[in-house]
Order: sequence, then C-alpha cells, then structure tokens
Amino acid sequence: MSSSLILRTEAIDKSYPGVHALDHVDFDLYEGEVHVLLGENGAGKSTFMKILSGSVPKDRGRISLRGQEVEIASPMHARELGIGMVYQELSVIRNLSVAENIFLGRLPKRKRFGTVDWPEATSQAKRIMDDLGVDIDPAERVGNLSVGEQQLIEIAKTLSMNAQILLLDEPSSALSDEEREQLFSIMRGLQEKGVAIIYVSHRLAEVPRVGQRVTVLRDGAKVDTLPVDQVDEATLIRMMVGRELGEQFPKEEVERGKELLRVEGLTVKGVFNNLSLSLHQGEILGISGLLGAGRTDFARALFGIDPIDGGEVFVDGRKVEISSPSKAIELGLGYLTEDRKDGLVPRLPIPANITLASLRKMCRLGFLKHDEERMSAEKYVGELNIHTPRLSQRIEFLSGGNQQKVALAKWLCSQAKILIFDEPTRGIDVGAKVEVFRLMNDLAKEGVGIIMISSEMLEVLAVADRILVMAGGSFVAEYAAGQASQEDLMRDAVVR
Amino acid sequence: MAENPSGSSVSGLGRLKTWVATPELRVRLGIRAVLVFAVLLFVYYVSTAPRFFSVTNVTNVGARTAPGIIVAVAQTMVIISAGIDLSVGAILAFSGSLASVAYCYWGVPVWPAILLGLAAGALLGFINGLIITKGRIPDFIATLGMMGTARGVALILTGGLPVPSHLTAVTLKAYLPEEIIWMGSGDILGFPAGALIGLLVVVAGWGVLMHTGFGRALFAVGGNREAARVSGINVDRTKVMVYTLAGLLSGLAGLVLVGRMNSANALMADPANLESISAVVIGGTNLFGGEGGVIGSLVGALIMGILGNVLNLHNMQDFAQRVVMGLLIIGVVLFDQLRRRYGG
Repeated sequence: MSSSLILRTEAIDKSYPGVHALDHVDFDLYEGEVHVLLGENGAGKSTFMKILSGSVPKDRGRISLRGQEVEIASPMHARELGIGMVYQELSVIRNLSVAENIFLGRLPKRKRFGTVDWPEATSQAKRIMDDLGVDIDPAERVGNLSVGEQQLIEIAKTLSMNAQILLLDEPSSALSDEEREQLFSIMRGLQEKGVAIIYVSHRLAEVPRVGQRVTVLRDGAKVDTLPVDQVDEATLIRMMVGRELGEQFPKEEVERGKELLRVEGLTVKGVFNNLSLSLHQGEILGISGLLGAGRTDFARALFGIDPIDGGEVFVDGRKVEISSPSKAIELGLGYLTEDRKDGLVPRLPIPANITLASLRKMCRLGFLKHDEERMSAEKYVGELNIHTPRLSQRIEFLSGGNQQKVALAKWLCSQAKILIFDEPTRGIDVGAKVEVFRLMNDLAKEGVGIIMISSEMLEVLAVADRILVMAGGSFVAEYAAGQASQEDLMRDAVVR
Repeated sequence: MAENPSGSSVSGLGRLKTWVATPELRVRLGIRAVLVFAVLLFVYYVSTAPRFFSVTNVTNVGARTAPGIIVAVAQTMVIISAGIDLSVGAILAFSGSLASVAYCYWGVPVWPAILLGLAAGALLGFINGLIITKGRIPDFIATLGMMGTARGVALILTGGLPVPSHLTAVTLKAYLPEEIIWMGSGDILGFPAGALIGLLVVVAGWGVLMHTGFGRALFAVGGNREAARVSGINVDRTKVMVYTLAGLLSGLAGLVLVGRMNSANALMADPANLESISAVVIGGTNLFGGEGGVIGSLVGALIMGILGNVLNLHNMQDFAQRVVMGLLIIGVVLFDQLRRRYGG
C-alpha cells in the first residue's frame, strides 16, 4: 500500500433545518486504501458522501485533493476531479445494454456523421469489464443481470470516468454471499491499481476483511479513526452507540391482557422468512433492527398490502386471511406507515383524512354523514392536541408532527385494536415525539396492542414491553423490557 | 434581508424595481396580464358578435352546450381520480348511434332503445375500467384504444351513414322518436330541455363528489393512491365505477346530441375529448388528480360553448375554430402550471 495522501477533509460542517447533520468532520484517505465508514442510521454517513460527490454543498470546512484545496460544485465537477460515487439504490437503466449504461451520455461517436460508434463502445466496455475481472457481455440488457452484476456495472461506469476515489454506499446490502466475495476481490484489484475507496457499511463482520482503517460517525460527529486490526466488534458497537439511556420517555406499567394477535411462520420469499410473534392487550412490542432488515415488508404483508407466500395469522384466537388492507381494518388492525406521505392525502382537509379508514362507517346508504365526520374530527384534534388554524385545513399545510398525529387519529377513528407503528417518530421534533409516546401509553392502557417498528434503539428500549430484533429477514433475538442494552440490539442487528 | 439591515431606507420605487426584476414576479405579472387580455378579448368578441344577445341565440347556446356539459362532468370525476378518459367522444357517438339504429332500423320501442344506448355506454366505460385496473394498462392507453374501437363499432352499426337514412340496405322502420328529439331540441316553459338535463347532471355530479363515500374515495385515490389503499379503500373498484359512470354519462350526452341534430352519425362529437378536458382544466380541476369540482367544469364548458358560438357568429370557419380550441387548451394548461409554480 503506497502512502500518499489523496483526500483530506477538515472541519466539514453541514446543517439541515432542525438537524446538525455533520459536525466538524476531519477525514483522510490514502492512495490504494479502503477506508470503512460506520455509523447508525442518521449518523451522517450519507450526507458526508453526498458532499464529497458534489450533490449537496457543505456549509463550512475544507476539502483538499492531493494537497490542493477544492470546492466541489456539482456531481459533474466531482467526476472531473476523479471522485466517483456508486449509489445505494441502483441507478442503472434496465432496458439498456451494459455498454450503453457504462457510457450513458458519452457514447463514443464516429467522426463523420456523429453517429454512435458501436464497435468502439463494445470493445471499450469489454476492456473495462476485463480490467474488473468479470465476465459480462457488453451487449447484454442490464435488466437481465442479477442485482450484484448490476452493482458491478455501476462500479464499471464510475471507473470508466477515470475515478481515483470511489465512494461505495452500502454496496453489499443487496448482494448474495458469492457476489459480495466477488465485489471484495474487485476492490482488492482496484486497490492495487492505487484507487482509494470509501466504503459505507452496516455489516461489522465485513470491516476487517475489506478495509485498512475505519472511521465511526455518531450524531454527525467523528468518534474516531482507527486501523481495523486495533478494533473488535464490541469496540465498534460501543463507538457507534455511545449514548446513555436517558429517561426522556415515561413508561407506565400496563397489565397484559389476552392475546390479540398471533403470527406463525409468515414468509414472503426472498424478503423475510418464517416470522412468528404474538401480541397481547396493553402490550407494546418493539421490533428493532436496521433499515432493510425486512421490518416494513413484514408490516406491509401482515396488513394485507403485499401478498404472502406462507404462514398463518390469528386475530383474537381466530385464524384469518388478511388479503387486503380493507380486510385488515375490518379485523381491527391499523398501520401507521413508515413514510407519513403513504398514509395521508395531502390535499384533503383534516376531517377527510381522519375518517379515511372508516369511510364505510361514516356513510349511510352511500351518503357521507358530514356532522358525524366533523364531530369525530373535532374530538381527535382536541385529544391529540393537533395544532391547526382551522378544522378544514388541508393536511399539506400542517407541520410534520401534526401530520403524524392526523395519521394516528385515522386509526383511532377506525377503532383499531392492533396498531402497527412503523418509525412513528421519524422526522418529528422532540416535543411531538414525547406526545406520540404518551399516546402509545394511553392506548396500551385502553387495551390496544401495539407493534412498534423503529430504528431508534433508545426509543424502543424506553417504550417497549418486549423487543424483537430483526436482521436479514428473520427475528434474531428477543428481550423483555429492561433486559437489553443498546449494545445488545446493535450487535444482534449487525452481527451475523 | 438579514445581510442588509438598512434595506428599509431604500425608496419604495427602488424596492418596486428590484421586485419587478425578480423572475417569479415577472412571470406572475405576465400571467395576470395575459389573463386580463384574454378576458377582455372574450368580452369584446361576445359584445360585438351580431345577434349574440337575442333570445334565440341564448337558447341556442344552452342547447348547443348541453352535451359538452354532461361530458365535462364525466371527465371531471375521472380526472379527480387521477385518470383521463379519451373515449368519451367515441362512446357518446356509439351510444347515440346504437339507440337510433335500434329504434329506426331494428324496430325496438323507444324507451328500450334509449336504455340500450345508455347501458351500452356504461358497459364500454366498465370495460375501460376493467382494462385499466385488471390489465394494469395506463388510463391514457386503455381509453385511447376504446376511442378507436367504439368509433369503429359505431361506423359498422351505421354503415357510415347518418341515421335515419333511406340509403341503407335495411328498410327504415321509423324516423327518430319524439322523446329523443325532445331531449335535444325540446323545451320546458322556454328553457331548453338539453340544458336542463345538463344542469341536473351537474347537480348530481356535485352531490356525488361532495356528499358520498364514493366521491370521497375519488379524491383520495386521485390525491394519494397508496394512502387510499392502505386506508382500506378499494382502489380498483373505485376506478371501475368512475369509468362506468363516465361511460353512462357519455351515452346520455349522445342521446341529447342526437336529439338536437335530429340525426345520429358515427363521427359526431369528434372534438368532445378535447373540449371536455379543456372545460375541466379551465374550471380549475387539477389535471393530475385529487382536487377540483363540477361547478368549475360547468363554467369551463359554458366558456367553450360561448366561444364556439361567438366564433360562429363572427363567421369563423369550423376548421379554424378547431385551431383556436386546440391552442386554448394548451394555453390554459400552461397557465395552470405556471400559476401553480409561481403562485398567481
């Protein structure tokens, strides 16, 4: 490994409204090095990569390339500087060939008429694939390739722009084991050619295998940079989690009632496997884990949005087939979606959104009972403390926290007895968070059973009576309240 | 501005100048200016049109606009659900032709013939809905296909001739019945019957949209399909129902049009798609779904009808009128977009 410094950042700072995304981050990268970047969801990894690849501007701080200070103005500019980013979500165009994808927008042209020089494009693409040591036909349609191969096309595309610095954002999350091995060997090949790589990952086990050094970010700030042979998994987990459990969220003891919901062996092929759980009256069951572990897919399948491949569901001890959301609602389920926008109609007023899941009850012979609708809406706006200038306000003009409360009111209005909360505190401020938790407690006291899916381990630990940890489409651990620490949850989520 | 705390000392005129210099404001002023110009032009042409304000002409405009109003109501509901129906004109012609052919050539009694026309319109709309939801074909493509198909079937039915006609191989059993002619040309105490039917449809459409669960479902599906689904609304059934309703109303508009012309033909109401979409957009319904209403569409349809009438009175030839109508819809949608982007 040569040791010439290729990239250095000093005191990079970035704020979004309400969030200090990056807090004076110093970072350096050497030629031929793989530098692993670790951190929880929201620790600032993606923002850091976006700044280096020119898609968001930094607020303050300096970036220098080979000792020369640069202002990275745009993704185009980053590419000219030799910085190539491979995104987490594949940005290949499935209907085009491998060669077309690699040279998108810059296909080699013939001098005479400016038409595309296909033989040249094919041979150049072939050369790049050979350099990578992979055997993919440049004429193949990308949609016919596996996800792993598509990822390689992305990397080939970036390299074809003469990238000296490669940014890989969680490239292995969609790959099979063999594909991951292939990716690692390609990375080693690139290293030997002097390419420097920043590798963002959630898998701790990979760290010593791919990288030379590792930097951990937490809440936007750098915790430390260490050589990989000086850290073990426990240290990394401690570095990622760090915080002490605060008593921000008051948890009240609720008597556990009869079983409301039992799931046995629920499976959606290729997404999650053989998931079983039971939920009782007055119980808050936390499902912890990282993004992409299959938690939302589980919720969607349970709620009848996506079809299942196997497994049984019992509500109140009775076996049921939940084939659609309307069936789920009939059985007393409610699902607060991961993205608020998936649960609300922004251009409709508050009452229409609150009664959206109880439309049938709100109608007599097909006609809306406007009085009843208004009364329900007034009731929930009062109970949930929804701040609005008037009842008929459109949802799109409410703040995030108030929108979330309307989404919640929708399920209270539908008299749901089994509530699935998917990331209930995402994108809302601390005050609203505490209100949402208080509400969950109140609901539990009334005998509602709640499944709380959350990436915020601190919140799950504080609120849930029982915690299941999900990773790679399975429940990998279960804890009773007070028996787990953040380190435990993190280890279960990342170590396999 | 935080950077310039002394900004308040800048003279009013200076501030106005910097304001006008911002691109948003220039666009906004531009929009206003063009709208005012359009209204003035409209008023000028209306007021200078010979005989525009005569009783015969006003009645004429009412009767002439009626099918357009009915189709515009249908189109409004479809567009609110984030769909679009390009087959309204073709279904209109098909239903009108079928009812007429059934009565004049097949000897079907008048009410069954009328019901047949309406039911056939609803059926074609239902098929539209099925193709879109079960076949997962974009609304645009499915109804475009239906547009060609329905016109074709209507042409086969009528042999490409007006109905009734003495030139067909089948013997003519009867001329068009009083009942159908009344729908387009009759009156109640001097008020054109067609216009009355149109108004009734508007009121019914308003009632459906504002006071029924189905109407609410249309707004929800058009405003956020995923949220509607997660909230237990049957999105597919809602879409099938709205296209069926659109087919039924198109059929009704067909009967009114046949009554007004005292004749049916397979190629009638050729510009109905364009005109109905124009009316909906002029009326303020969001072309991308989720917001709007039929009252606006009524106004839009009336503007279209008056415009056509005025251009006639000014002796503009039909072909040129089509150019004007085509440009009008582009202009209106463009303005709508600019207004949404910059505020108006």
